[in-house]
Amino acid sequence: MEESHSSFTPEIGPDNRKIKLNVGGKLFETTVSTIQAGGPDSTLAALAAREADDSNPVFIDRDPEIFSVLLSVLRSNRLPSTARRFSKQELADEALYYGIESRLKSVMAPSPLIGIDASLVATIRPAADGFSSSFTAGAGDGSVWIAHGGQISSYDWNLTHTGTVRTHLEQITSIRHVWPETAAIGSETAAGLHFYDFSGGRHVGSVHWTDPSDPRIYKGRIIAIADSINSVFASFECQHRENCILVIDKSTLQVRSEIGRLSGNSTKNMVPRKLIYLPESSVIVSSAVSSGAFGFSGYIKLWDTRSGEMVWETNEPGSGRSNRFVDSFADVDVDIEKSAIFKVCSKSGDIGVADLRNLSDDPWVYLEDNNPGIRNSVGVGNSIINCYRGQVFVSKDGELEVWSRIKEREGMIENVFEQGSYRRNFVDKVEDSKRGIINRMEGGGDRLFVSREDVEGIEVWESSNISGATSLW
Amino acid sequence: MPPFVDDILPSSNVFIQKKPESSIITIDVGGQLFQTTKQTLAQAGSGSLLSKLSNPSSLSRPDVPFIDRDPEIFSILLSLLRTGNLPSKAKAFDLQDLIFEAQFYGLESLLVSSQSNPSQFEAFNLEKSLILPLNGRDSPSAISTTPYGSVHVSHGSKITSFDWSLRRKSTILTQFTAIDSLLALSQSVAAAGATDFSGLQILDLDRGFIRETLNWENSTMSSSTVQAIGSSPDFLFTSFESGRRNSSSIMVFDIHGSFCPVVEIARCEIYGAEIDSAIPATKLRWVSSLNMLMASGSHGGPSGVLGNIRLWDIRSGNVVWELKEKMDCFSDVTVSDALSAIFKVGVNSGEVFFADMRKLNADNPWVCLGDARKGNSGKKEGFGCKIESHGNQVFCSKGGDVELWSEVLMGSPTSSEDGLRGRVFRRNLMGRVKDVGGCKITNLAFGGNRMVVTRKDQQSVEVWQSSVRGF
Repeated sequence: MEESHSSFTPEIGPDNRKIKLNVGGKLFETTVSTIQAGGPDSTLAALAAREADDSNPVFIDRDPEIFSVLLSVLRSNRLPSTARRFSKQELADEALYYGIESRLKSVMAPSPLIGIDASLVATIRPAADGFSSSFTAGAGDGSVWIAHGGQISSYDWNLTHTGTVRTHLEQITSIRHVWPETAAIGSETAAGLHFYDFSGGRHVGSVHWTDPSDPRIYKGRIIAIADSINSVFASFECQHRENCILVIDKSTLQVRSEIGRLSGNSTKNMVPRKLIYLPESSVIVSSAVSSGAFGFSGYIKLWDTRSGEMVWETNEPGSGRSNRFVDSFADVDVDIEKSAIFKVCSKSGDIGVADLRNLSDDPWVYLEDNNPGIRNSVGVGNSIINCYRGQVFVSKDGELEVWSRIKEREGMIENVFEQGSYRRNFVDKVEDSKRGIINRMEGGGDRLFVSREDVEGIEVWESSNISGATSLW
Repeated sequence: MPPFVDDILPSSNVFIQKKPESSIITIDVGGQLFQTTKQTLAQAGSGSLLSKLSNPSSLSRPDVPFIDRDPEIFSILLSLLRTGNLPSKAKAFDLQDLIFEAQFYGLESLLVSSQSNPSQFEAFNLEKSLILPLNGRDSPSAISTTPYGSVHVSHGSKITSFDWSLRRKSTILTQFTAIDSLLALSQSVAAAGATDFSGLQILDLDRGFIRETLNWENSTMSSSTVQAIGSSPDFLFTSFESGRRNSSSIMVFDIHGSFCPVVEIARCEIYGAEIDSAIPATKLRWVSSLNMLMASGSHGGPSGVLGNIRLWDIRSGNVVWELKEKMDCFSDVTVSDALSAIFKVGVNSGEVFFADMRKLNADNPWVCLGDARKGNSGKKEGFGCKIESHGNQVFCSKGGDVELWSEVLMGSPTSSEDGLRGRVFRRNLMGRVKDVGGCKITNLAFGGNRMVVTRKDQQSVEVWQSSVRGF
């Protein structure tokens, strides 16, 4: 994985010209190709290209020790242990100065996220109002924006706090990354979908649900937000429980269309609490689940965003196999790459999977696993399901488990919808599950972010190739 | 001191300055100049980057060769080349840094042998040194090591592999729900099997897929579960039991190449009530001094634990020696080639016994190394104890402790009429006071200069080693 990018070659090519640098009084000798490894247009490459000779090398007035770490990164594409003397922030700042931040980013990024071998590496705790009401890791580089109270705090790829924006909302309950610097937020206690820009730290727009022909459509509140390249989708609910999904143009921040208007007077037409956009088919998946004395009930509906028509729906209890009658789903998510929709059954904890390209009345294939290490606690639990990086992460109250596919043969064609091809394992330890009920999970970069009810901050789970051995000497 | 003669053979430590075609080589690493000899660089091995530098053809250029790497780590690796050991200043770096740079220069094998050489195993100097954590909630079920100390641990449906430095790990998912037998065939290939899953799987641990599935075709046409795995330099041995649990066999596979079945030995089937006739082997150990396979198995019945220990000649497929265990049956058995003895720990007494392999024909070859009377007490003090031999020692786990048994070599045979009777074994409890006890030990394994231990309900691997130079 770690390929050496510079190597000794006896023939001196144009790039292997030696170059001497004097950084903060310390002499370094390297090659032009190493210097340019951070990008031929980097500040470092520009600095090093200045006129100089052997007796009077290029002088850079920066700290030599950090430079030696960064030079090591450029030479070997790997973070040396001497980097531990500096904080991640210092390294990132210095890399930014030399313009080689992307190289540092790639060597500091966590290993690919493997649910069966992940551990809790950090807990991000905003300084005030630390109970996260929602968060989004939509940028995909391991950064996360946390909504806590009326504030949004952003943490970059390094999980360094980069800023906090105070919004006009008192309690943000939905947040979504829509542009690199813009978040869409909503609240279940105040009307409208609002857009905030981080670079300016300011409100840039709002969208409200209105209907000139129906005066009752007034002060619609946001329940869920989804995002696509051109549009933002938000589920709105009015005081009298009528609800719909609005499609909002991302560039103009204007409502493009309204789909899926429901009366909200029964479980089958309550407001969607989860929206997932499928870019391949321009379909939006909406789902809502409510739990009561008789267990869970809910629906999944698929809407064509172009025509506004409903493509498919299922209600539980009601449809599906009768032997699963008391085992209706607690949560739904979509593996977009594999066009598979996954649900977690509220009672058995089993996972149902359906092929989105081939939906029928009862499309579900149930994945079962008889791992003796996992006791199926009988009874209804609070379950959340999240598909990320080909794995299915499922929480049950405070417990976090992962369903992963077995690789049987090299180059085997994967069939997601095959029974028995998944194994279920705990990601966490018993102690972890005692911290509180998991209320939100989302993957971003090679990280899994988890928040728990009544627990400050959000947890960051990563995989690592480092054994983490603790020495007893 | 004799003066240097011109035609003296230069060795790596001799500094010859007079010669015009000197063997001294100057290298510029990251701006720092290093001087060494061709002989020192040749220690790196023919394919390595450094030995290319000592090759005169590449030195035809007049200037000093330049290597664009960190000079400080190079100076440590140069010491390794010069002395075969890491200097103490290496402690300023992480072992990972040194491994990575050593890989760049093609010196990793030298680094491995300086840090994790089996010859550095010192049984009397082992200390509890490292805890390797395992993610998830499954406790280790089986463990296997390679000669240079990489460790493979199965926990639940997963296998986590630690490299020789124990600093890096990787985890793969298998089809098993729990792996009961695991044997590392190389750094990246392992054989795994379970008592509730059909077939022995040869797994590629780097890429996480199955290379081969080996089965035993039993007469009942049921599945074949794996009870034990063993290996010799040429063969892979697997003890299979049929899914209906009425027949068992040991299959011998070719360990090189494609794992073709070579021969089947020890096939036995239960007819009627003779349950003892088909106890599957649960431990397979190759005895290289005799060129035979030790297979042992036991089962608990109404009359206590019964078992047998057999030595098989693979070529003829015959049992050369068999011992039926009725009184104080073993809870675990091992063979020590170095001591030419079989050791067991009795399931009732919990005591260690040995049987001299040069004198196996006696009626009761067992010599108790403790209190032999305890065997009759109906208790099962030795239940779950593990016994393993490594080098000249035998290690026996009792509860959370490890006993180290070693032979005391007496100057002269104490009883001349029977030279073997005079063998003296003594035991030590391993570890300092703070290390004694703990959860019950479930696996013991040895590799490189380390002993590796897993314990019940602990999601971690414990490593015992003697403090080595460098790290």
